[in-house]
Amino acid sequence: MKVRGLLGASALAIVLASPALAADPIKIGVATALTGAYGDLGNEVRRAVEFAVEEVNAKGGIDGRLVETQFLDTQAKADISRQQAEKLVNDGYTLLTGAIASGEALAIAPMLERWDAVYIGTIPKADALTGAECSPRYFRANVPDSADAATVGTWLKDQPEKKWAIMGSDTAWGRNSGASFVGTSKGLEREVVTEGYAGLGTSDFAPYIQKIADSGAEGVWVALAGRDAINFAQQAKQFGLLDKVKVAGVSFVTDSTVKSLGDVSKGIFGIVNYSSTLDTPENKAFVAAWNKKYPGTWPANFEADTYVGMQMLFAAIDKADSAEPEAVAEALSGLTVDSIVGEVTVRPEDHQLVRGNFFGRIAEHDGVLRPVISATIDAAVAMPAANRDCQL
Amino acid sequence: MLIQILNGLVYGGMLYIVSVGLVLIFGLRRVVNFAHGGLYMLGAYIGFAAGLYFGFWGGLVVALVLMALLGVLLDYGVFRPLQDKDHMTTVLVTFGILLVMEDMVHMIWGADTISVAMPALFDGTVDISGSPFPIYRLLVIAVAIVVVLGLTLWLRHSRAGLYVRASSVDALTTGMQGVDTERLSLAVVGLGTALAGLSGVIASPLMALSPAMGSSVLIESFIVVVIGGLGSFSGAFFAALVIGQVHNLGIVYLPNVSSMLPLLLMVVVLILKPSGFARSH
Repeated sequence: MKVRGLLGASALAIVLASPALAADPIKIGVATALTGAYGDLGNEVRRAVEFAVEEVNAKGGIDGRLVETQFLDTQAKADISRQQAEKLVNDGYTLLTGAIASGEALAIAPMLERWDAVYIGTIPKADALTGAECSPRYFRANVPDSADAATVGTWLKDQPEKKWAIMGSDTAWGRNSGASFVGTSKGLEREVVTEGYAGLGTSDFAPYIQKIADSGAEGVWVALAGRDAINFAQQAKQFGLLDKVKVAGVSFVTDSTVKSLGDVSKGIFGIVNYSSTLDTPENKAFVAAWNKKYPGTWPANFEADTYVGMQMLFAAIDKADSAEPEAVAEALSGLTVDSIVGEVTVRPEDHQLVRGNFFGRIAEHDGVLRPVISATIDAAVAMPAANRDCQL
Repeated sequence: MLIQILNGLVYGGMLYIVSVGLVLIFGLRRVVNFAHGGLYMLGAYIGFAAGLYFGFWGGLVVALVLMALLGVLLDYGVFRPLQDKDHMTTVLVTFGILLVMEDMVHMIWGADTISVAMPALFDGTVDISGSPFPIYRLLVIAVAIVVVLGLTLWLRHSRAGLYVRASSVDALTTGMQGVDTERLSLAVVGLGTALAGLSGVIASPLMALSPAMGSSVLIESFIVVVIGGLGSFSGAFFAALVIGQVHNLGIVYLPNVSSMLPLLLMVVVLILKPSGFARSH
């Protein structure tokens, strides 16, 4: 992110007019799943926010104002998430981020105007967040389900497998992703023979796995994340399912899955919203800086998405010369950001960041097993037009 | 179908090993031990950590020994002082212990999920009616059977088992007959926590470890204990079998309501037969 040192007379005027305001820190509240079934994802969000904040503060902050953060645990549960977000707002942390589950963001989005807060969504994928449930104060930095569905279509049409099974998480996101896959496969003359949706934190996937094996599916589409993804993959391997059918998924081919599963994950296909192997100067600089702060690790996809969200937020504060939620929201709408995934723009119609998507599989890269991009899908193809249900 | 029933047995078997520990502790101490899920989780983590040095089976032994010791300490330091207290107090204290254990594990091993490798001897599948079935899952069923038989023989045919059963019915009168119920309960609580650890370690190659794994198993094992009849050993066995099958067949045949079936069963049992399957008190 680039914080411009000289912001012209307007910034100077504000600084001179209210010296107290200039010294005020910019407060970012992060309510995320630090524990629970999505605990590993919440900790990725925390690492990314801490990285971004440290980086911007090392450069002297934004317009000379340092950034301050507060983290609260939501366990990825919608009700707790809303309470924690409200608590953050009451403590003055009106720039919010951190939701993992779509249900969390869906519970918070309707409250944002009343709280006079701004939310940067970096993980939740449900289409409704930039569709029927869109809010003037909710902005999405990550890739939504409909874009993933458009991406999977470009891959699915080249696959010989005709019969597919869906293994999803029984959440707003999992159901949404499953429905998108059914829609995509119908258009491509593929048949979905069985669908299973397991509750968050399911430990035993054996009945689902056997059902998929019995259904005669040749491929399985997985919309599970965090511990659920790991448990499913591990048990499916033990049942011999991973070797028998083609496995692809969304939020399944991630760095954290690879870290837990090791060789079991090798060869799994999937939508990769971000890969640390991305060959652009911006990304290389990001990966190198990340490597310095967290030695021996590469930024994972959720970490990178959260970092993109922080780049968006910082650029908007910079543009607005203010950290007041209303001004930040105004600056975010239509904002163009020079990010690690290229130059991207926040669409004013539904507040979705318009960015491309990737397809890939887990393979060795520089001797390390991680998601590797095999196809890049341009934003024009990957990102469907703004949803008409969204009335901002 | 056969495979699904076997899967139900695996699930029920693991639930049984956790639940029977709860039953043992409740029988002797009249303590509803909410920390039990935490003990299951801690056992899994200890097994994993020790397994890095001594292999899976070595890790299992270390976990069993440490968990039994922890059980003795818990009984001495927590359950004994609490036994005359209000039920609410014991619930709050043991629930607090669960939270402390989760945070400690979080601190030591982090929130990232950890996968444990299958012991090499049981890695692989066998063909059962044309479908591959992991050998390790058969081992889980075998371990559950060994625990059932071992506990039954011990409770029915040994003097110590007689004391345990007597204490479960009326600790005061049993004490008056000259049985040292305090010492007995040290051993029994140690056994109960060791069983929680056993199930944690046995589950670890199947399910990734995370600090939250204890809370989910706790709810299901409470359902087993309530359906089986509080403090009943045979009741817990039958209830675990039934819940295992209801859970699995529910997912296969009634996917949309499967998650509430065990709870529904508990409600029905409590309304029709509040004492549970077994005719225990």
